[in-house]
Amino acid sequence: MRVLVIEDEAQLREQIIARLRAEGYAVDGAGDGSEGRYLGQEYPVDVAVVDLGLPDVSGMDVIRAWRGAGHNFPVLILTARSRWQDKVDGLEAGADDYLVKPFQMEELLARLRALVRRSAGWAESVLRCGPIALDTGRQQASVHGELVDLTAYEYKVLEYLMLHAGEVVSRGDLTEHIYEEDAERDSNVLEVLVARLRRKLDPDKCLNPVETRRGRGYRFCLERDG
Amino acid sequence: MGTSGNRHDEPSILARSPQAAHSDRGRARPETGVPSLSSRLMLAASAVLAAFLGLTGLTLDNAFRESARAAARDRLQAQVYLLLSAAEVDERGALRLPDKLPEARLSSPASGLFAEVLSESGERIWRSASSLSVDISYPPAAYIGEPAFVTTSTASGTPVFALSFGVIWEGESGPSHRYLLRVAESTESFTDQITKFRRSLWGWFTAAAVVLLVLQWLILRWGLAPLRRVAQEVSDVEAGRRDALGEEYPMELRRLTANLNALLAHARRQLQRYRNGLDDLAHSLKTPLAVLRVTGDGDASVEELRVTLREQVDRMQRTVDYQLQRAAASGRAPLSNPVDVVPVIDRLVGSMRKVYADKSIEFDRQIEAPARFRGDEADLTEVLGNILDNACKWCDRRVAIEVRTVTRAGAAEPRLLVRIDDDGPGLAETDVVTLLQRGVRASPDRAGHGLGLAVVREIVEDLYRGELELSNGPLGGARVQIVL
Repeated sequence: MRVLVIEDEAQLREQIIARLRAEGYAVDGAGDGSEGRYLGQEYPVDVAVVDLGLPDVSGMDVIRAWRGAGHNFPVLILTARSRWQDKVDGLEAGADDYLVKPFQMEELLARLRALVRRSAGWAESVLRCGPIALDTGRQQASVHGELVDLTAYEYKVLEYLMLHAGEVVSRGDLTEHIYEEDAERDSNVLEVLVARLRRKLDPDKCLNPVETRRGRGYRFCLERDG
Repeated sequence: MGTSGNRHDEPSILARSPQAAHSDRGRARPETGVPSLSSRLMLAASAVLAAFLGLTGLTLDNAFRESARAAARDRLQAQVYLLLSAAEVDERGALRLPDKLPEARLSSPASGLFAEVLSESGERIWRSASSLSVDISYPPAAYIGEPAFVTTSTASGTPVFALSFGVIWEGESGPSHRYLLRVAESTESFTDQITKFRRSLWGWFTAAAVVLLVLQWLILRWGLAPLRRVAQEVSDVEAGRRDALGEEYPMELRRLTANLNALLAHARRQLQRYRNGLDDLAHSLKTPLAVLRVTGDGDASVEELRVTLREQVDRMQRTVDYQLQRAAASGRAPLSNPVDVVPVIDRLVGSMRKVYADKSIEFDRQIEAPARFRGDEADLTEVLGNILDNACKWCDRRVAIEVRTVTRAGAAEPRLLVRIDDDGPGLAETDVVTLLQRGVRASPDRAGHGLGLAVVREIVEDLYRGELELSNGPLGGARVQIVL
């Protein structure tokens, strides 16, 4: 999952970014509105965290600019103002949820997970496709109720594929949403990760959850249950 | 000069020390170039009065002059008839006038009344004794039987009224003769009359004008007295000598004074609230600060420090949130426009749909038009936002919103009733009491600081003197009802 964080307070921004990275997100950070607006328009962002009180372009204007340009990724606003009038203004500008400062990191993470899941059309925090279930809150996968031990990257790949279950996800997309801009990219790594996932989720080779579309990418092909 | 005298007084809205206000009163008011109300009214009324009296006087003068002139003419005409009646005809059929005339003035020289008779050929055949050596330029008589009347003068310059009258004298047997009778009278008595009339007319008018002006000034003073009183009372309020304007004002001013009083009371309440808020904030921050200090000074482990820090920071955060929300609420400001409730609810429902997108909540809206709230829109948004947020947090899938206007028996103004129901688990008896206390949340695992309902109560009950009721509604969940 690729997160864009726009926050002018450097210390808070670094803390959020560090925590999000630790949770396995690919994170881009911006310290002001215009840079943030640019990143949101140029990068394949899955979800954005926007502080409303930015020094140059206000967070509200950044969101309006994205929405005006047709970018529909979910946006979580951070605001120091806790009045409903301000929250409603932010939500009407195009944000999807709000969080009043100061907040707890766990709360931020839960809101982000929910936003990503919701924008992919999932109503509940546990994604179920046939026997495979992915608990996005606990970051655990299970097959027939049995927990499957996944590495951080394996989890990221599975989460992205399951969120977009039924859709073909190109290798490029998958790479962009999992790795940060400056990370080393190698499509062989992706193949290795997918191969490992197949082995762990489907040791008997009877489910075949991830199919390879030659030249186009991967598709998680089990039916969504939620 | 010291302003410390004000410190322990009741809050003075236009806070100035009494001394400052006093010295202000000694100073002349700045000239604004705009004339005062009383001088405007006085000036306008005086101009109207002068114009009215002047025009009336001129008209009366003119009418009197005209009628006096007409009377002079009638008198001359009467003299003509008197002469004719006295005239005799001699044996040749010619006109003759006796020496003894009925009008004595004609016989005495310099009497001011003159008469003469001209024959057809223009030859003077008779002239009165009074007109000897007096030469008057009479008007020519154009037609027989029609008098010609002019104002003219004698050769010596005395102004006279002159009248010429042509007659045909028919003898009993002989031929008829034409004569021209001419009479004139000095204008002296006429001028005297006019002068006397004018003197008395303008004398009375001047007296009337003076009386009217004095009356008018008194009326103005009496009529504008309430305005002067308002000004005086406002400066008393400024100086802190009184809290509000008096009640007994004429109807036209009562709205103004009532609104001013409402503004003053509003400002005073606001000030008091900020003061209380600051006091509360300071006091409630002192405890966690003390805890932190003690913990920092002691030999607590890093883990203990971490826990204490987090607890106290949470506590301080709740305090700051609560006090800020309280302070931001502005209350019913006098003179503010009523707020339409429907768009506020629409926006909030739109926001709730986004925030609680997972639950796909059904909102039943029953709004009775026109739903208007007399107060601040941000306060209404805050109240309804908090209640709706709670309802959405707890509901299963339905939230019902009902808005009505209710008029209580004995209450002058209709009030706004908002009732919000959810189909969640509802409230326990104890919840109803504790939820309204600041910082209490019904469930620790749901988002929110538990300040919501406390802030709602603060705004509804303290700021708007409304009512807040918590109960369990027909949907099975909680019902929050407010009357504003």
